[in-house]
Amino acid sequence: MKPPSSRSLVAGILTLVSLALLVLSLSGFLESLQGLALRPVAAAQEWIAVRAATLRNLLAAPGDVVTLRQQNAELQAEVARLQREVITLREQAAEAEILGGLLNYARSKPESRYLAANVIGRDVSPYLRSIWIGSGTDDGIARGMPVVTERGLVGRVVEAFPTAARVQLIIDPQAAVNVRLQDSRADGVTVAQPNGELRMDQINQGVDVAAGELVLTSGLGGGFPADIIVGQVASVRTRDYELFQQAVLQPGVDFENLEIVLVIASFQPLPAEAGGT
Amino acid sequence: MAYVLGIPLMLVLAILQSAVFSHVRLIAGQADLVLLAVVAWGLTGRWREAMVLGLVGGASLDLLSALPLGISSLALVLIAYVVSVTEGRLWGAHLLTPLGVVLATSLAFSVFTLVGSLIAGAAVDLPGAASRIILTGLFLNLLLAIPAAQLASAVQRLLFPPQVEIA
Repeated sequence: MKPPSSRSLVAGILTLVSLALLVLSLSGFLESLQGLALRPVAAAQEWIAVRAATLRNLLAAPGDVVTLRQQNAELQAEVARLQREVITLREQAAEAEILGGLLNYARSKPESRYLAANVIGRDVSPYLRSIWIGSGTDDGIARGMPVVTERGLVGRVVEAFPTAARVQLIIDPQAAVNVRLQDSRADGVTVAQPNGELRMDQINQGVDVAAGELVLTSGLGGGFPADIIVGQVASVRTRDYELFQQAVLQPGVDFENLEIVLVIASFQPLPAEAGGT
Repeated sequence: MAYVLGIPLMLVLAILQSAVFSHVRLIAGQADLVLLAVVAWGLTGRWREAMVLGLVGGASLDLLSALPLGISSLALVLIAYVVSVTEGRLWGAHLLTPLGVVLATSLAFSVFTLVGSLIAGAAVDLPGAASRIILTGLFLNLLLAIPAAQLASAVQRLLFPPQVEIA
């Protein structure tokens, strides 16, 4: 029998290592190791994410940057210095605006204790809608804690490591939130579609739902506190032969541009809700 | 030397993928930086390093994802193995060869990612995923394929200059 080539041997060994990692990971044995590995990675991720956000803001800045660059040669150095200053100030202003909004939100609900956290990354798989925040169990964050911004519900912490945590967004198809229509008081559950659309399901047929109506968390099930904004009704689908109506929701939160979020640290979800999704 | 540079690079690429390239999306697809790096290095003929970098790069990606740790490693080790079978001859054959290799490996990697996401419990709309994620990601990978291969080739020549024996 022909012996395997050294290439096949190396590939075989590395494949076995990968499979071992996979089995250990699926069995949950690698969680502490992942936490340890994430410590330096999360720090680097945060460093890069902050600078990338600054660069994005620079690229998205209005055209006056271009105009300034066209000034005469004498002023160019000064312009460049001012530009840098402007960018820094814009960045600080944007951050202050976000923090101001979050602070107002926190003040409006003083019964809860909040922890602010930077968004440092997104899930690298395009099929899973979750974000990484740069705070973890070292800061008091635990699995199951709801995450919000001043514009509404973002999601829930589903994995917490010492220096980072993963937040499952409410637009992830695995996430479900018990919600209530603000005016008609009808209860339902949000169901996210794989294409990113957020729907409210299980609305009783007799309820009159209007576009534009606000959708809030109901607090049922103990997974989220009540009365957090989830979104607005964009359209309603009613079919006579179905038990329930469905509403397409426009989420309050812009999930593409999350920079800082608030984790509701004082909220204790029911154990089943904290563990599940 | 290749490991000293390559292993941290894999980690950095995975972080860039999560922190930066997740915002640079075409519809819902994004370029797979780690895959491109592993394939590009495999095309230079350095098969052993390509496989090890595949293992490390895959683990780094899985660390920053809800995917089970090891799924991307498995995919990238196997991809590096298949690419390595060419012994670097493909790259010399034609300048556009990396496009074909990246096309095939991107599809294979997408399938692995899809399976990993299903294992992780994701609900996937397959037709939607094919058009919005896989095809657009493939396009971005193809755009970066030739620069990545040329960069890898240049780095390989820099680190391992060809030895010439003078009789």
